[in-house]
Amino acid sequence: MSQPLIEIRDLKKYFDTSQGPLHAVDNINLSINKGQTLGVVGESGCGKSTLGRAILRLVEPTSGEILYKGENIVDYDVNKMRNTRRDLQMIFQDPYSSLNPRMTVGETIAEPLKVNGFKGSREELSQKIEETMETVGLSNRLINSYPHELDGGRRQRIGLARAIILEPEFIVCDEPVSALDVSIQAQILNLLMDLQDQKDFSYLFITHDLSVVKHISDEIVVMYIGQCIERANAKQLFANPLHPYSIALLHAILAPNLRNRGKPKKVLRGEVTSPINPIPGCRFAPRCAHASERCLNRDIELKEVEPGHWVACTLFE
Amino acid sequence: MSEKLLEIDNLRVIYKTDEGVVQALNGLSFHMDKGETLGLVGETGAGKTTTALSILKLLPDKIGLIEDGSIKFNDFDIVTGSEQNMRKLRGDKISMIFQDPMTSLNPIIKIGDQIAEVLELHRADMTKSEIEARVDEILTTVGLPTSRKDEYPHQFSGGMRQRVVIAMALTCEPQLLLADEPTTALDVTIQAQVLELMKKLKENLNTSMLLITHDLGVVADICDRVAIMYAGTVVEMGTIEDIFEASNHHPYTIGLFGSIPDLENDAERLNPIKGLMPDPMNLPTGCYFHDRCQECMEICTIQEPDNHIVDEKTNHMIKCHLFDRTKHSDDLEGKMHEPAFN
Repeated sequence: MSQPLIEIRDLKKYFDTSQGPLHAVDNINLSINKGQTLGVVGESGCGKSTLGRAILRLVEPTSGEILYKGENIVDYDVNKMRNTRRDLQMIFQDPYSSLNPRMTVGETIAEPLKVNGFKGSREELSQKIEETMETVGLSNRLINSYPHELDGGRRQRIGLARAIILEPEFIVCDEPVSALDVSIQAQILNLLMDLQDQKDFSYLFITHDLSVVKHISDEIVVMYIGQCIERANAKQLFANPLHPYSIALLHAILAPNLRNRGKPKKVLRGEVTSPINPIPGCRFAPRCAHASERCLNRDIELKEVEPGHWVACTLFE
Repeated sequence: MSEKLLEIDNLRVIYKTDEGVVQALNGLSFHMDKGETLGLVGETGAGKTTTALSILKLLPDKIGLIEDGSIKFNDFDIVTGSEQNMRKLRGDKISMIFQDPMTSLNPIIKIGDQIAEVLELHRADMTKSEIEARVDEILTTVGLPTSRKDEYPHQFSGGMRQRVVIAMALTCEPQLLLADEPTTALDVTIQAQVLELMKKLKENLNTSMLLITHDLGVVADICDRVAIMYAGTVVEMGTIEDIFEASNHHPYTIGLFGSIPDLENDAERLNPIKGLMPDPMNLPTGCYFHDRCQECMEICTIQEPDNHIVDEKTNHMIKCHLFDRTKHSDDLEGKMHEPAFN
């Protein structure tokens, strides 16, 4: 078996709060192969964004290992990490606040090159910018525009151009399309998939939108309060979800057709409990219809129930 | 025959800004019957929220102006109605649920008092204890414990705040509820809870609802009729079956559906609409959609299409030259679209 591009072992990120440690990311294990997309789904506050940031060490993990091409980047010093970040990029959720309003499109896209000591001439630099703009579908006449002159879709293309200009291996996409209208969303999703075909990027694709995640991912991780509760191939997960939370999530999707109209729905009761100092036991148990005493007082491990399909639930122990 | 509750005819609304005149609504027409849920679907800038604000006459003062057209609620003319009469209507006969439950509540007033305020304004004959009883009742209806009525908005989660907003909107049992993206800011499992709640309440109170959304899944779940909006006009309108299952559609509707990843089919690529929404300060001539349309003909660039009824029984309307029977009745069959979905 070939070595995965990114492998994460027992990654933890706790934030200190006045009420105790907030378990944002709790013992996550995952791996991503070259050219593959791993989707991370979960509701707000489940730690998906923190996971994405921790992998790039934009927040320092509390413990655990992040192996990039077999090397643990958690041990890297500042200089080495800076060099490695060329290969590890990120696209942010909000194309309105993630661009510097006082930099033109060209300056924004050139910034990563300059920061990383681009050695070429001025002509080479502008050629590189123009190439990248073309790749992401931005017209060259926009090179001197400012972000406020552009709509959300174009701004997200700038974010993407900035991420790919250094030709990275791995890109964390943190809800890259959720701030966009559906027709623009589809354009950006197509672009991300085309770029993956051309350049063999690997993506960690963070989203709360299940139809988007199925469309783009090879493998999917479902998170609930900092933990991975189910992990499977995208098709497997949608065809045969096992964890009661995954099932509830899939049930809550409203498909744009009339097949389920008027049918009674299984609506999940209650809300997400606090991630601060959680007690041992299944964190979903308070909302779960199958909860029993076995779910309490001890942590439930992920278990492989069929090849490549892992689930953390007492129903499958 | 069902009774008409709201009728909007040829409504034109502009916003005067420093940069120029924004044409927000360009001849918008639709009606709503009593007890009906109409879905108003469109992308950012289509004029959905402007429509709701026009119905309540809450357009920004001196900036948003109703230029032409009429809005009739029962027999009351909203466009010419006095501010005094409008104030009686708002929150009583017509109420609104705003998109963002985080910002539509007053952070320094207890939620119980915020709900009571609606009653104090519109039900002057109610005593203090009656109002209190009604607040408890409505909180129970929306699934909030009455013990929490003395808490402040920040003590509630997003889903619970949206329940408070719904409770406020429903206390006076309005005839018309304007719901502007009521679940967009919520997580899917909470969205499901809120939608179930709204469906149940609507049935119990026989309220009509104008549901503004860009989510076709929500529409399929809850609406009776649908109006698809583009650049300030309705480009297609019909029953839920017309929109989701009939074979004739406006090219924009087809593009909207093509942009959504389908969970049941494993399409490799999506078929989005090319290009962007037109600039409302500088709308194209003819059909507003023509420069993004795959079916664009010469006439589309020159002349604004009429509203064509493609199904008499259901009043399925499409505003597109493709469905103009007088112009090319011979090849009409050939021009009809393949069924776009299914």
